[in-house]
Amino acid sequence: MIRTFARRALGLLLLGCVASSAGAADPVPRERAEYFEKHVRPLLIAKCESCHGAEKQKGGLRLDTKDGWQRGGDSGPVIVPGDPDKSRLIQAVRHSGELKMPKEKLKDAEIATLVRWVKDGAIDPREEGPRRIGGITLDDAKKWWAFQPVRRPDVPKSTFASPIDAFVGAKLAGKKLGFSPAADKRTWLRRVTYDLTGLPPTREELDAFEKDSSPDAFAKVVDRLLESPHYGERWGRHWLDLVRYADTAGDNSDHPLPHAWRYRNWVIDAFNRDQPYDEFLREQIAGDLLAAKGPPEKYASRVVATGFLAMARRFEHDSDKAMHLTHEDGIDTIGKALLGLTLGCARCHDHKYDAVSARDYYALYGILESSKFSFAGCEAKQQPRDLVPLMPQEEWNRVVKPHQEKMAKVDAELRANTETEMKHAKAVLAAFAKHRKTLSTGDIADGGEKRLPATEIDVKAGEVVFLSITPHKNHGADTTLVEFEIAELDGPGRTWNATADLIGDLLAGNPHKDGHGNESVWWLLDARNQPMPLAEPVRDVNGKPGLHAWRNGDTPSALVNSTRSDIAAWTKLPARSLFLHPAANGNVALAWLSPTSRKVRITGRIQDAHPGGPDGVGWVLEHFAVDVRADLAGMTKAAEQRAELARQRAELARTAPRQDVAFAVVDGQPADARIHIKGDPEKLGDPVPRRWLEVLGGQRIATPGSGRLDLAGWIASKDNPLTARVMVNRVWLHHFGKGLVPTPNDFGTRGVPPTHPELLDWLAAEFVSSGWSIKAMHRTILLSECYRQASAHRAAAASVDPNNELLWRFDRRRLSAEELRDSLLAVGGNLNRTAADAHPFPPESSWGFTQHVPFATFFETDRRSVYLINVRNRRHPFMSLFDGADPNATTPQRQATTVPTQALYFLNDPFFHAQAERLANRARGKPEAERLAELFRITFQREPTPRDREFAAGFLDRYAAGQPDRTGPAWAALARILLASNEFLFVE
Amino acid sequence: MKPFNRRGFVRSSLAGSLLMGGLLGDLLAEGRTDPLAPKKPHFPGKAKSVIFLFMSGGVSHVDSFDPKPKLIADHGKQVTFDHPETRNRPGYEKLYLKKPDWKFAPRGRSGIEVSDLFPELGRQIDDLTLIRSMHTSHSNHYNATLGMHTGSFAFARPSIGAWTSYGLGTENRNLPSFMVLAPQMPYAGTQVWASDFLPGAHQGTRVLPGTEPVANLRPRIAQRSQQELELEALRSFNELHRESRPEDPALAARIKSFETAFGMQTEMPDALDLSKEDDKTLALYGLQRGQTDGFGWQCLVARRLVQRGVRFVELIHTGSSGNWDSHGNMADHGRLAKQVDQPMAGLIQDLKRVGLFEDVLVVWTSEFGRTPFNNTVNNPGREHHNWAFSSWLAGAGVKRGHVHGATDEHGMRAVEKPVHVHDFHATILHLLGFDHTRLTYRHAGRDYRLTDVHGEVVKDVLS
Repeated sequence: MIRTFARRALGLLLLGCVASSAGAADPVPRERAEYFEKHVRPLLIAKCESCHGAEKQKGGLRLDTKDGWQRGGDSGPVIVPGDPDKSRLIQAVRHSGELKMPKEKLKDAEIATLVRWVKDGAIDPREEGPRRIGGITLDDAKKWWAFQPVRRPDVPKSTFASPIDAFVGAKLAGKKLGFSPAADKRTWLRRVTYDLTGLPPTREELDAFEKDSSPDAFAKVVDRLLESPHYGERWGRHWLDLVRYADTAGDNSDHPLPHAWRYRNWVIDAFNRDQPYDEFLREQIAGDLLAAKGPPEKYASRVVATGFLAMARRFEHDSDKAMHLTHEDGIDTIGKALLGLTLGCARCHDHKYDAVSARDYYALYGILESSKFSFAGCEAKQQPRDLVPLMPQEEWNRVVKPHQEKMAKVDAELRANTETEMKHAKAVLAAFAKHRKTLSTGDIADGGEKRLPATEIDVKAGEVVFLSITPHKNHGADTTLVEFEIAELDGPGRTWNATADLIGDLLAGNPHKDGHGNESVWWLLDARNQPMPLAEPVRDVNGKPGLHAWRNGDTPSALVNSTRSDIAAWTKLPARSLFLHPAANGNVALAWLSPTSRKVRITGRIQDAHPGGPDGVGWVLEHFAVDVRADLAGMTKAAEQRAELARQRAELARTAPRQDVAFAVVDGQPADARIHIKGDPEKLGDPVPRRWLEVLGGQRIATPGSGRLDLAGWIASKDNPLTARVMVNRVWLHHFGKGLVPTPNDFGTRGVPPTHPELLDWLAAEFVSSGWSIKAMHRTILLSECYRQASAHRAAAASVDPNNELLWRFDRRRLSAEELRDSLLAVGGNLNRTAADAHPFPPESSWGFTQHVPFATFFETDRRSVYLINVRNRRHPFMSLFDGADPNATTPQRQATTVPTQALYFLNDPFFHAQAERLANRARGKPEAERLAELFRITFQREPTPRDREFAAGFLDRYAAGQPDRTGPAWAALARILLASNEFLFVE
Repeated sequence: MKPFNRRGFVRSSLAGSLLMGGLLGDLLAEGRTDPLAPKKPHFPGKAKSVIFLFMSGGVSHVDSFDPKPKLIADHGKQVTFDHPETRNRPGYEKLYLKKPDWKFAPRGRSGIEVSDLFPELGRQIDDLTLIRSMHTSHSNHYNATLGMHTGSFAFARPSIGAWTSYGLGTENRNLPSFMVLAPQMPYAGTQVWASDFLPGAHQGTRVLPGTEPVANLRPRIAQRSQQELELEALRSFNELHRESRPEDPALAARIKSFETAFGMQTEMPDALDLSKEDDKTLALYGLQRGQTDGFGWQCLVARRLVQRGVRFVELIHTGSSGNWDSHGNMADHGRLAKQVDQPMAGLIQDLKRVGLFEDVLVVWTSEFGRTPFNNTVNNPGREHHNWAFSSWLAGAGVKRGHVHGATDEHGMRAVEKPVHVHDFHATILHLLGFDHTRLTYRHAGRDYRLTDVHGEVVKDVLS
């Protein structure tokens, strides 16, 4: 372990500094130095440094220091001392190569000056500037407050019992201010209940608290709330904000993450069981590696915890190819969320302001790149992969593998069976080739339709009428509506209508029976090569009830909309219709195996049901005058065998052992990363060893594998000066509405320093010594007088400290989006308080999301809002309206905007109206005299005042005047007013 | 208790004045709580508002605004390019130049050539500045669409409309400052009009044709008088609450927001109600009386919105499918152009007619162009092409009848005075009165801007 972490960190830096200045110790020949000072330096200042100096470093190059040109720009050193022709700086000023600098060419004499200087060895007597890391000198980094070791400051002497009050009180006293009086018990209870659970207190809870006059009444409430499962739902959500939790990947097609919920629930659970924060972090960074060390009962949860890393956003059409952006998101989030450092800036260049270099960035990048991330699926590759099993490999081998082997055996038999099917199919094809009679062909323009020319033919039983649909130049939008009917012109005069015969029970079989009791009349065929029945039945395609298909892969396919209404899928699919969809590389067919030997009439209509495709489709109608029943029977038999095997397969699937997986991270191929010059992954620079940030010690990884175990250790260390400070600041922020450091994700030089530095350090020290217990931190803070203050305005205090930075009162705050929705459900009495698990995503096998038709569904729930789906590329309308977290980037603190579109929500939203109605009905269950009180108790946890009563009576009277029902609508309207009021929306 | 009376609310909302004078007025006037309060730009901008016409899918420049006789002459000639859309793509080993499907002709007094794809717009060419040297950083719909709207080709960032709203606020608090007329969802979804890290008030409000164009706009209470009574009571109840908290601007701002919302319920349907437009105006946009869809509807509504002080109106033509993405057959361009040609020409004439052309900047663009080549001589389609495309600007502060920049002889690359998306953004912001390097927002320790670290104002297009 690192004992004197910070000292050693700075020691390493100093060592580096000494080493580099030792190299510059050669005496400089005086006259050449003078030449530089007299001629070269003014030239550099006048012509170069505006773009290559302290302010700007275009191309990564600085010419205002010797070190600058020696290190060179993004493409390497620019001067070869003694050799002007090989020096890129000289080439550039001569405008002889591709790079021409400066844009306005230097005068010949000026060029000559530079050439002479380089030829003479490029002597540069400029003093080495102070050593820098990123945008800050070593000296300044050493002095930066956030990098100082956390020391427990002495608590100021005071009469306060709580050290927090002593710290805050001392600052207030310095301005001749003091705390506001304590809030009344009701106000405090409402405040602390929302604060810890995100829900309003109940009337019963208030009664119990008000009756409890014992000295530890407040402590009992805090303990009760911390034990509530709703605590984790509220505080877990703060963490989910921070780690940009989402249920979709964020790539161009926004693929679902059906396993992400495990991480969400793990976070909620971790808060509920007060998992020590250091362990909480270690598991999120290296849970898979810790899992391998046991105990077994922790295996699954630790793997799930790495969802923090896996959750990084995916990008582009093929997200595998944009992992450098995903890793940037990962490093950025690690930096801001865990360390309060903006590391992401260093992807393209050294940090402009903070002690973070591009080398630091790629040191961490190597660690992430050495890990294997679960793959979500994307437009280019629909199916997910590398999901991580929630059991050790040995157990997987023992339990899951045998099952998978059985499955594999059935699958092998299925394949063999397919070959048999194929043999018969080829025979059918050969017979068709010899006996083909083309009845009609045609083309349909994009979005167009045509009737088949009515055709009369003589058929014999066993012959085939074959309608195939041809893609033109396929771009995937060839859904074709088909109406097809064959009618006997003599004899019994039967008709066979494909839509009528297939639509009710399409998935009953392929081949499919007709409406006259004949088996195997209709065949839905993959007609790309030899005709083969479409083998894969899919119910509720894309999750659309009543949209069923037989298909082979995505296409070719035959679909029915069996419902009585149009279905909006990739295009509008009219009600009660049959569709054929050819593949990009060939036909799909509907075949009729004649059960009759008579003259028949064939009619039909073909319509390109997906306009804008951009082209239409073609059709070919053929009659094969040959009895193919024997081979078709062979195919059918094989198909029956296939059904049996499919049944066995389904049974195996039903009895399968749990094979739960997580969207998670495991170790991959360990390797150091090379710098991406200017952030371009195709321009690689030097490799950087995987190591910790230089300013925090720069230790190299010491464990085999990716290095995540080391990373976890460096971050979750009590000697890390940032980790504990950053987290206690967050706890403080969520209790008081603002952090002691007002920029919670930025403890660097661009952030705002702490208002109460000693208090911050005292809390951080306390946090670590309590065993990183977040619940202990809550108790410490919530039982202070500082937290108990009233929120009332005090003009005298406000004149000294208008923004309440010194905490002379409690800041009023608006409910968050989740609190608002959950409260509306709670007062309506219909909040489902149970935890949710997975979202009802469509099964992976049915996925076909694209940038044209991405995943974009918001699932409804009556559970708490933390369980609402978070879609990265489509903000949830309610969440977005009330400043919910951005699932694409870490959100340290919610905004609280007030805009008229929110007011429209309170005026007209159907859910809001329904909840108000429920609330009114709850109150109306009481005797009339009690109603108003009941309404106020549920909504505000208080009794109505006489003025409230006067107000309500006046309103009810006026509203009900002239209404046939004098109570119902008026009470609902009153409920709406209370729920739309500031008193409901704000916490005192 | 203060008695509440219905007259008070109605009067104040009709007058558009503050609900209450005195303290509340003072609190709100500070602008601390109102991110949409009108603000002055860095210097007086020519444009007071923007109508941004976005053609989804990628419009072919060589078939529309960028005539290339050499492309016709060299039709069928095999060429080699290391192109992002054809690199390593099976079937695209050989590439052949492909002539345009539409004829070009000089139009207007300026004689600028426009193809038969846009005959109506061609008649207005003397009012436009055509940029033939646009280029962008990505050849994928999603990324290029995101880039054209946010300046970022991968990460979620605020939209140009949100930046405009942030910079200028709005003149009409009864309507959102940034409105988006998008019947279909575009590529990259709501990110196209997101405020991202800017305050939520700056996000685009999507307007859909139909009975409820903006979420929750339609009163759910049958009688307007009942709603007024309810709002009046809400104000009274909130005032009771505020008596002991008079200093808090957040509470006051929220009370005010209900008044604004009440106004929106009237003002928004009014803005969308075309019944008072005369037949001549409707005809300009190619609209039938009573029609509430199509690009003509979008364009006329846009004019009505900028008239009412909306700062940034974006019109998206089509969406993430059924759009200008004519891989299969360029003939689709003909159908799509017909949908927008007359309405766009009508919009320009109408803006001039109502005297707004000097104050409104009209921007027309797409995510990228289309390849001047394809993999067979007779392939009827074109692929995505980010090396070159055309856009145009019209109205406030831009030259009229002017062409800026040029592509090479085949329309492959923007070679003369190239204009990257960042430069395009810098120019739009300049026209609104902003130095694009100084319109910044501090987020997570960094000052962000629409143009990131890029962008130069295209001075040549300024009048």
